[in-house]
Amino acid sequence: MYKTKLNRFRIFCLLFCFAVVSKTAAQSVRISGKVLSSERGSLEGLTVIIQPGNLTTITDKKGHFYFTNIPKNSKSLTINYTGYLPYEIKLSLKESAVLLPDIFLKPDIKELEEVVVTDHFGFRRKKEESLNIETVNSSFIQRNLGGSLMQSLQRIPGVKTISIGSGGSKPLIRGLSFNQVIVVENGIKHEGQQWGADHGLEIDQYAVNRVEIIKGPSSFMYGSDAIGGAVNIKPVPAPAKNTLGGSIDFTGKSNNEQFGGSINLFGRNEKWFFDTRMTVMDYGDYRVPTDTVHAYNYAVPLYKNRLRNTAGRELDLHASTGYVSEKFKSVLYASNVYSKSGFFANAHGLEPRNVDTELHDKSSRDILMPFQEVTHTKISNTTSFQIGNHQLETQLGFQKNFRREWSHYVNHGFMPPLYPDDMYAPHNLERQYDKEVFSIAIKDEFSINKHQFTVGINGEKQQNTINGWSFLIPAFQQITAGLFAYDKIRISDLWLLHGAVRLDYGKIEMEQYNDWFPSEITENGQTTSQYLKRSDDLNRTFQSFNWSAGVNYNPGKLALKANLGTSFRMPIAKELASNGVNYHYFRFEKGNPNLSAERSYQLDLGMEWQENKWSFQLSPFFNYFPNYIYLNPTSQHDIYYGAGNQVFEYEQSKVMRYGGELQTRYQFMTGLSVEILAEYLYSEQLSGNKKGYTLPFSPPASVLFGMTYSPEIKNLRDTYFSLDYRYTAVQNQIVPPEKKTASSNVFNFALGTKLKTGKQDFIISLQVQNLFNTKYLNHTSFYRLIELPEASRNIILSVKVPFLIHQ
Amino acid sequence: MNTIQTKSKNMKTLKLVFSLLVMSFFVTACSSDNEQIDTEYPVIDISASNTFPVQCSEIIRGQKITFRTKFTDNVQLGSYSLDIHHNFDHHTHSTEVNDCVSDPIKKPVNPLLYINSVTIPAGQKSYEAVQEISIPQDIDPGDYHFLIRLTDKEGWQTIKGLSIKIL
Repeated sequence: MYKTKLNRFRIFCLLFCFAVVSKTAAQSVRISGKVLSSERGSLEGLTVIIQPGNLTTITDKKGHFYFTNIPKNSKSLTINYTGYLPYEIKLSLKESAVLLPDIFLKPDIKELEEVVVTDHFGFRRKKEESLNIETVNSSFIQRNLGGSLMQSLQRIPGVKTISIGSGGSKPLIRGLSFNQVIVVENGIKHEGQQWGADHGLEIDQYAVNRVEIIKGPSSFMYGSDAIGGAVNIKPVPAPAKNTLGGSIDFTGKSNNEQFGGSINLFGRNEKWFFDTRMTVMDYGDYRVPTDTVHAYNYAVPLYKNRLRNTAGRELDLHASTGYVSEKFKSVLYASNVYSKSGFFANAHGLEPRNVDTELHDKSSRDILMPFQEVTHTKISNTTSFQIGNHQLETQLGFQKNFRREWSHYVNHGFMPPLYPDDMYAPHNLERQYDKEVFSIAIKDEFSINKHQFTVGINGEKQQNTINGWSFLIPAFQQITAGLFAYDKIRISDLWLLHGAVRLDYGKIEMEQYNDWFPSEITENGQTTSQYLKRSDDLNRTFQSFNWSAGVNYNPGKLALKANLGTSFRMPIAKELASNGVNYHYFRFEKGNPNLSAERSYQLDLGMEWQENKWSFQLSPFFNYFPNYIYLNPTSQHDIYYGAGNQVFEYEQSKVMRYGGELQTRYQFMTGLSVEILAEYLYSEQLSGNKKGYTLPFSPPASVLFGMTYSPEIKNLRDTYFSLDYRYTAVQNQIVPPEKKTASSNVFNFALGTKLKTGKQDFIISLQVQNLFNTKYLNHTSFYRLIELPEASRNIILSVKVPFLIHQ
Repeated sequence: MNTIQTKSKNMKTLKLVFSLLVMSFFVTACSSDNEQIDTEYPVIDISASNTFPVQCSEIIRGQKITFRTKFTDNVQLGSYSLDIHHNFDHHTHSTEVNDCVSDPIKKPVNPLLYINSVTIPAGQKSYEAVQEISIPQDIDPGDYHFLIRLTDKEGWQTIKGLSIKIL
């Protein structure tokens, strides 16, 4: 055992030894210049190409580029950059050193909406943050479009999902998920029912312009819950002045016969703007490459490979309006995201069930019971203004998450066999959660000499009510507040230091819950009928002090970073007070009212090397929790309300985790590049009942080999053909009730282009996911426990048509 | 000249990264222990001839039956629960390969519901569970489901669902 652990760590260390590099020598003809845009100033991280010969280089953070050894017969210099019109200049090189006049790129207005911020931004962010940050934009999402936002982001190493069905998923960052990862949209913390694996994130992926993923503890910025990382969905930038335009997206998927799309309309005069969007999605039961699944030893035959009752619908509406001037900006956002989706009918309830197959298999598009409906409404305002040296931002938000789970009434415990007519909950309403959240935040950014300070205060108030014939968690109120200060010190061009401190306060008040039906209780030989109390009135308060310290060192092409910090998370209502059956997993879950706030210590390192033809990035981390909150499967069964199901109890244990990601790219020639993306994670519980075991949903190691060919074709822009091969290693690190998951080999193929006919652009992308229809299991899928393979081959066509009505 | 300078700087930083790594390696090495974790499920063994009930067993109302099954585990058994509930609506099926002939669908009036749990004495790798269950006279006859859930000490659970008939 010790030996295997040692070997595991050795392999882990070996990854670092890739870091040995060499440099090429300089030669005669030298050409240099600078690339800018009028809106954004210098443009960093974009590719400059010299023809013939396909020599490339990347601009630095001041927009400068240098070619040191180009042949004298070089004819042209081109810059193709998404969001800007293509740029080309003829060269006639007579001298040995040429300094070109500044190159101004003109933005392509039609696409501005989508791509104002692209690669160069992510590149700069990485160098300025000591935590590991990945930034992607809407083109990345379109290229890798999955059933939901997180599924579209899965290509990023260290980012996985816990998916349910084809349309919902939760972020899984370096093995942590649910309330350990925060999702921020337009500056406001997204508050849904994060604790549940059985439904997705209520985010419309078509409305996403840019996402920043922080792979590490970021409590000092976001407070409780950001202990494992953050997914920050940035606001869509305001449209360009005096424009009226929009775009239409169409998406079709073969696997679940999904069709849908999104329509966007935006406009702006000098200072006022509006932006609206509507997204509609409709999909059928999805298909898997098997005709039988084994739900806890129960064989379930599938009709035409379709996963019974996993169809769904989505309707999302967004509207925002705002005022923008040089020193003042205020935007009001409103959105409503609605989804309705079915659960796999055979694996819901107290035990795996037989269902009326004739009824279910009649149509692959209908949504029968059990199913869920979620409506997430959000209204928020972000106002930013300048007072002297201070850049202030205020944020006000209201959210309502309304989730209902519908299922046939199944009596258990002493519940009456027939559903009473006078019951307060509708007949088939199994569960209902209604959450209302008010939030407020004020932030001030200012500079004093080399110090760039950010100080802020934020508060949130939640009200949660429940309904339905079953019980899992009680109603509760919650108040949280935080105060933070962050200092970024620019010591020199090479060195950046970061320091942050944060104070948090949280209070949770849970309400008593009594069964709606009497149970027979025998005490001292006397049998009485009582309405059992399932949860107590319980008040808990938590305080926490957290800090973070980091450093960036950026000598030229190399960028190094290190960060050490603490993070925390308040226990949630489910962990403190649940007391009921989880009908998805056939288990009885019991909260623990004595849990303390989870704490985490993490060391993050990062190394990045950027050359013209290749780049290399490594981001290892080490993490320790003195009191990780863990749902422990016990050897006991609950014979009352739990109907004989196994009891799972919340406990805390010491946990150690380490791992990292590696990303490397190499460009063989213009248009042809390969990349390798790898990730590794190891977790171990160091104390408690499951000492020696890992944590649930531990993603196995995986490596992705990608090849992209981007030819220059007449009348087409940004054409690409790409093939991804992902090898996922076996996962033998398991904890009850998980099963070991075999390794898998999956291929994805994608192609896309921008077609111009007349004045109209069409952005087309086509993907074939699971190219060879491989039958494999995903260790972190919601349905893994019932041995359900991942979706079979899926062809996804996506077309985006940007338009401009007036400019 | 320039190049050499950056190189030596890079070497320094590489060294720094490496030493941090070595540090984290020691942290890991110290906390490792040699305990072998248990990843095996307990086993419900119905192969013995005196096992009861088995798939398609028939039980008569008003009589006492004796549940008898052998449980085994590689480390230590935990507990088991028994659950008898009606299957008049054919809502459940069994984990067994062969199917039994079932009666037509009907509405329950007074179906039998039996749920019980037994903690297996500590330290057992093998255990013969024996339990008497009385079947009342006034319950609905018909198709029933006999569910056995067995855990081991670590919380691994094995389920066996049997179809039985009460006459």
